[in-house]
Amino acid sequence: MTTFAERPTIAAPRQGVERTSRGSQFVKTITSTDHKRIGYLYLATSFAWFLIGGLLALFLRLELTRPGMQFLSVEQYNQIFTMHGTIMLLMFATPLFVGFANVIMPLQIGAADVAFPRLNMLSYWLFLFGSIQAVAGFLTPGGAASFGWTAYAPLANSTYSPGIGGDLWVMGLAISGLGTILGGVNFITTIFTMRAPGMTMFRMSIFSWNVLLTSILVLLAFPPLAAALLGLESDRLFGTHLFDPANGGAMLWQHLFWFFGHPEVYILALPFFGIATEILPVFSRKPIFGYKGLIAATIAISALSVAVWAHHMFASGKVLLPFFSFMTFLIGVPTGVKFFNWIGTMWRGHVTFETPMLWVMGFLVTFLFGGLTGIILASPPLDFAVSASYFVVAHFHYVLFGTVVFAMFAGFYFWWPKMTGRMLNERLGKIHFWTLFFGFHITFLIQHWLGIKGFPRRYADYLSTDGFTGMNMISTVGSFLLALSMIPFFINVWITRNSPKVEVDDPWGYGASLEWATSCPPPRHNFTSMPRIRSERPAFDLHHPHIKTEGH
Amino acid sequence: MPSQASRAKRALRVAALIVPALLLLSGCSFDLKNVSGMGFPKGVSSVNDISLSLWQGAWIAAGVVGVFTFILIIWPAVFHRANASKGEFPKQTQYNVPVEILYTVIPFIIVAVLFYFTAVKENQIIDKTTPVKHEISVEGIQWSWQFGYPEAGEKAVVTGTPANPPTLYLPKGESVRFTITSNDVVHGFWIPAFMIQMQNLPGETNHLQFTANKLGEFPGRCNILCGRNHSQMIFKVKVVTPEQYQNYLDTLKASAA
Repeated sequence: MTTFAERPTIAAPRQGVERTSRGSQFVKTITSTDHKRIGYLYLATSFAWFLIGGLLALFLRLELTRPGMQFLSVEQYNQIFTMHGTIMLLMFATPLFVGFANVIMPLQIGAADVAFPRLNMLSYWLFLFGSIQAVAGFLTPGGAASFGWTAYAPLANSTYSPGIGGDLWVMGLAISGLGTILGGVNFITTIFTMRAPGMTMFRMSIFSWNVLLTSILVLLAFPPLAAALLGLESDRLFGTHLFDPANGGAMLWQHLFWFFGHPEVYILALPFFGIATEILPVFSRKPIFGYKGLIAATIAISALSVAVWAHHMFASGKVLLPFFSFMTFLIGVPTGVKFFNWIGTMWRGHVTFETPMLWVMGFLVTFLFGGLTGIILASPPLDFAVSASYFVVAHFHYVLFGTVVFAMFAGFYFWWPKMTGRMLNERLGKIHFWTLFFGFHITFLIQHWLGIKGFPRRYADYLSTDGFTGMNMISTVGSFLLALSMIPFFINVWITRNSPKVEVDDPWGYGASLEWATSCPPPRHNFTSMPRIRSERPAFDLHHPHIKTEGH
Repeated sequence: MPSQASRAKRALRVAALIVPALLLLSGCSFDLKNVSGMGFPKGVSSVNDISLSLWQGAWIAAGVVGVFTFILIIWPAVFHRANASKGEFPKQTQYNVPVEILYTVIPFIIVAVLFYFTAVKENQIIDKTTPVKHEISVEGIQWSWQFGYPEAGEKAVVTGTPANPPTLYLPKGESVRFTITSNDVVHGFWIPAFMIQMQNLPGETNHLQFTANKLGEFPGRCNILCGRNHSQMIFKVKVVTPEQYQNYLDTLKASAA
């Protein structure tokens, strides 16, 4: 007995009619309203920013290899770390979330597109041109913004940081931030209104859940940033006194900035937790362990993330330490729950190590260490010892690189066949992973000790008597290994560009969520037929109907 | 298929691993004085005396939790691999409520214990009620420091430059109250070995009091980005005997007059 009817095929694809020249493909891409194409634009653009931000990081590492200024001026160094931070957080990681969410989320909820396809494209253009504008400061005579991505008042005002580079940075971020806000609106609406029949909230994939919660955080965090940025520009341009220290402006900026800045960390983390959560069950051949607990943990993390901003300001002497400390500690609880959900998913599974799974393992061990140093920093007495030092630099690279970059590559290898119709090469994928893994840990593990020994972040230079030289050298060597790890990835993308097409819906064999129930790549409106959705893994139910789930 | 009872036994085993971690954390089962400073020297300042045991305890707890979780991550990766003899599919376990409750409650207990020690110690560090013997003002300027010693008169102010970083003199074993201000942008007054820092905020005044307990020289650095020569905004802390400190105040008074 069938409980659904196969949708009639409306028309055969217009083979031969469609124009495929490069020019027409280009026009089609930049005028598209297809969430997948817009998603690819986001992914490609943010990956390009990742490479640019990474190149800037190599300049920083080279400069720090030895005491004394090697090849940069102090001012150039300040511009470079400012743009490194800005690019990595707001032009790479944030739009990377929008990219993955665009490509994958509508497929996972069984929608034909996002709710506002044209708004989607507008968001992309706002992001692209806003980002270019912010970085364009490098082309101005005074150079790019050099007041750090945190832009503390009053350093970022026109007295202490004159120059058009700072204005371009402020307004560029305001514009690209608007794109992010509109993206958030789009995703929330899509998830609430466009789920396929049978796709209840508690059958939705964890990735889509995390997109929803991330989008809510975007709506909470980015408007305060926009307000702060516009206020700062008004100070810079019109001489207003919003962030004048005489009116308490120094603290006002820190509060506004971190009220954005801390949720932003979770905006960057949650979608990538989601990617890991999609991959673990597939390569363990099991359902997610504790699905509802995992959703509850994500909701708890999202809620707590807007109540902890002042832990970035413990050393300001102006915040209520016990409250913000306790809230920050509390985040460790749902984060721990997530870890045990991930472990429970693998536990007694039939685990295989295709490349996406390897990247997820890299994410788990790297993020574990970043989480533990986060607990240390949540304690004000310990924060007083190492805050604003390389210990913090190491901590947030473990957290953010560990999450965003490891899960990004996990997602690329995992969804490459879904996006392109072709598999990436496994052997090159593994070489890529191990090079990056060792490169990363050599670069950043040593930085914890650097911080404990007293090396402050954002220092262009240090003394030969400080005892920082050896540790900095190790870190620089690691960073170049990390950079080299991109080569096998590019070779991989290049050599597999004409490899045989994936003929099945689910090349991994045990895919759970709905994107594995349509072709690789999916048709223009995603599905030619919709399977029954009776659990959180409709594609698995479709392909393995005889397998039953169980409690403990 | 494992029974309910064996599941409960496993949960007990997990608890057996975590309870010692809590004991370690509370510091009641052994003496932290014999443990390494984990990167920090011992006994150099009153803040260091307060915080070091928390630093050690937190790392021990983090180490136990980290190693335990790391093993749990690697275990299935090694021992629960797919293999043809096991058949294609494992048991499709979706949840296990007792285990889920356990791994929610135990992390909560761990952070609650950590928070208790945090709250006690942070109150000691930021305490400003106990009387102090000396007053020193610390003003951040782009890009150096101004140390004022009001006991030697209003004019007893030492100003450094990026090229000539100043020295902050502190008497050994005598408590000092620091008045921390900035005359331009935000700076960060940080003495790494002493395990203490505080922001110099323009338009605001911060206070901090502590005692240096070991003779010698310690580096201090600005750790909040303050503009072009941020990395040259360093200073030296020189801890001297109370008599030498008095002599230093006298020379300051003489040179200011």
